[in-house]
Amino acid sequence: MATIDPTAPSALLRRRGSTPRHPSPRIAQMQRTFYFLRKNTLAMIGLGILLFFVIVAVYSFSYPAPATQLQLYCGTYTGNSQPSGPSTGCISVCTSPPNIVPQCGPTAYPVDQFNPSLLPPTVNIGHFTSGPLPLGALTASPGNNYFYNIYAGLIKGAPWSLGLSATIVASGAGVGLLLGALAGFKGGLWDEFIMRVTDVFLSIPGLLLVIVLLSVLNNSIKIQIGATNYGSIVVLLVAFIITWWPIYTRIVRGQVLVTREQKYVEAARASGAKSGRILLKHIVPNSMYPVFVQMSLDVGTIPLGIGAIVFLGFHIYPTLYFPEWGAMSALSVLPIPGLLTTCENAVAACQFFPWWQLFFPGITLFLFAISVNFLSDGLRDALDPRLRR
Amino acid sequence: MKMSVYIIRRALLLIPVIIGVMTITFVIIQAIPVSERVSSYYLCSGHGAASPCTPTIPCAQGSTALCPNPAYEAAIHQLGYDQPIWTQWGHYIFNSLQLNWGYTGSQSQASHAFALTGQTPVSTVLSYFLPYTLELAAISLFMILLLAIPLGNYSAVYRNRPIDQASRVLSFSGFALPGFLLAILALTAITVISGGFGAVCNGTSTPYAEWHNSWPDLGCLPGGRYPSWIGPYLQTTPTGFPTVDAALHQNWFLAWESVKRMLVPALVITFGGIAGILRFVRNSMLEVMNLDFVRTARAKGVAERQVIKRHAGRNSLNVTVTVLGLTFAGFIGGFPIIENIFGLRGIGLVLTYAIQPQFDYGLIFGTTLLFTIIVVLANILVDILYAYLDPRVRLG
Repeated sequence: MATIDPTAPSALLRRRGSTPRHPSPRIAQMQRTFYFLRKNTLAMIGLGILLFFVIVAVYSFSYPAPATQLQLYCGTYTGNSQPSGPSTGCISVCTSPPNIVPQCGPTAYPVDQFNPSLLPPTVNIGHFTSGPLPLGALTASPGNNYFYNIYAGLIKGAPWSLGLSATIVASGAGVGLLLGALAGFKGGLWDEFIMRVTDVFLSIPGLLLVIVLLSVLNNSIKIQIGATNYGSIVVLLVAFIITWWPIYTRIVRGQVLVTREQKYVEAARASGAKSGRILLKHIVPNSMYPVFVQMSLDVGTIPLGIGAIVFLGFHIYPTLYFPEWGAMSALSVLPIPGLLTTCENAVAACQFFPWWQLFFPGITLFLFAISVNFLSDGLRDALDPRLRR
Repeated sequence: MKMSVYIIRRALLLIPVIIGVMTITFVIIQAIPVSERVSSYYLCSGHGAASPCTPTIPCAQGSTALCPNPAYEAAIHQLGYDQPIWTQWGHYIFNSLQLNWGYTGSQSQASHAFALTGQTPVSTVLSYFLPYTLELAAISLFMILLLAIPLGNYSAVYRNRPIDQASRVLSFSGFALPGFLLAILALTAITVISGGFGAVCNGTSTPYAEWHNSWPDLGCLPGGRYPSWIGPYLQTTPTGFPTVDAALHQNWFLAWESVKRMLVPALVITFGGIAGILRFVRNSMLEVMNLDFVRTARAKGVAERQVIKRHAGRNSLNVTVTVLGLTFAGFIGGFPIIENIFGLRGIGLVLTYAIQPQFDYGLIFGTTLLFTIIVVLANILVDILYAYLDPRVRLG
């Protein structure tokens, strides 16, 4: 059992400062929460992974922009050194579509030009294992067989993934908070109307609503910044936000219904506070905890959702080079059925299974989603007194 | 309240939700340009290629001046797009409730893949493929429950012990891996395991093609052709559920082949969808195990195994039923991708075919409506089941 008595926050806090402090109840509550969060190993691991990804996202802005199309050729790796020149074993011109990887001889593997400005030599994925391992080559969009480097893509994709997830979840939670607070606080017809609409939205499976919205809004918005049309990204954002707000509305409304009956709300009302003030200062802040838990849970699923819609063939690429993690993962999966067919029809033409294309974007997505899951689980435990151990 | 009254009341609540969903799709459809909507109805095609379904056509042969297209105007009028928006909404709801969901387009991959001729009603197409999806959903749900309930109970009983941590990590992993990645890995693995590369079935098929389909290749069948109860769209008669029909016709070979092809996809769906329900089973079991009647049972000297199984387990199950609807809505959203990867002929596959290379709006909206109706109906079933298991719900 835990050695700390959760009902004694002041004893807890006194350990840190030299003099006893008496923070306001809400601050004390937050400090208690963070105390229990710190005790949770899995949550801390999740937070660590998440912080690492944030650092990568910041670092990515100083990372040199990779070429949209790598000049791939067949080469051989000799130990840790750079690949030797074009191999004589090369069967065909290596960049030719529709091969996802150049077809090389049995000893040669497709490599990029090993442009030092493109890849810092010290963090070459090809050096992860002792054996020769091709650099990642990926189609940038279905039908367009542009290759790009997976390592560079994962770095450059970090701000896309994190930014899109955070924007969608924050906007969805914002809308949900507004409507949920309105429904719970006003009650009556407001409540009835908002919650019925929410129910209807909740009964449509999330991914399908996104698909329908994307198929309708497809290419209808043009937002030109420089040479890039960011319209598809805005459409993506709109579709995901429309899909993601109802769950928050339901959570917030349920929470507000409980909170508004509390004694402190009554006290505020008795001391003459206006409705708006009661709502903003008393009810909403005290209804936020389940929202945070849900938000941290949802952040991890957004890249998976983006991957799913890219897999289904929606073109959401503002540029040819759109290395969002989910999209990368989906694009790396897309050629596999064709590859399997090719392999079965002509085993000789199929030298290797491009596992690295699946593995590296996949593991990144996995780590991101599982880290926010751990964090969310820890948050839930820390915020819900019944689940503390 | 009597059970029958409760069921009727619950079923009546279905109507506003369905109308609400149709209203949402109606609003979304308004974003599609009218010309595109008209052309998807084939109303102009009767006038031949010289009269395309565009608002304007050249005034005369070879002329550059544009005149209003009478065929287009007629189509607009026939579809009621010149009516006030409220009238259009009424017509849309009225038509949709009658399963009049429009027609398939000619450009979509679905038309080619399923050999649909021009003006097939969407609801007819979906009725061919719906039973397959339902059967896959049933198998997946069964597998989820089969795994989640014992695992959740064990997790609660052995709380914070290795089995608890392992089941948590397992469920988290399923949640955190993209379904398409998991599915393609499973498909590759099963292809390689079941015979590697090379031809099977007397050289007419390959292991990959075998697993990427809901029925075996013709070359693998005795006699080299499908039995008469498998129709042109590979839909089955009389019920439409493939395994059930195969069993009804006592074709055990095809029944096994049909189930076999659903097991791996169902496992993938299970792995992805188990997280939520596993967590819920564990929590409700933890709560129930602290209740008085469990302590009483222990005090009476009931064996621990019986306490867990009979007293706590059974009562935690009641609560678990409430989240079944949510779980169902969660994993059925992943069906298009799973069915696409495994080549299973359900409505999810129809949806993925309706997206590329050209949007087939009739099929897209029809599939969405159908999936939503499935979810809503599943929720009602769960409510009724819960009311049956826990009479307080309908009496209170």
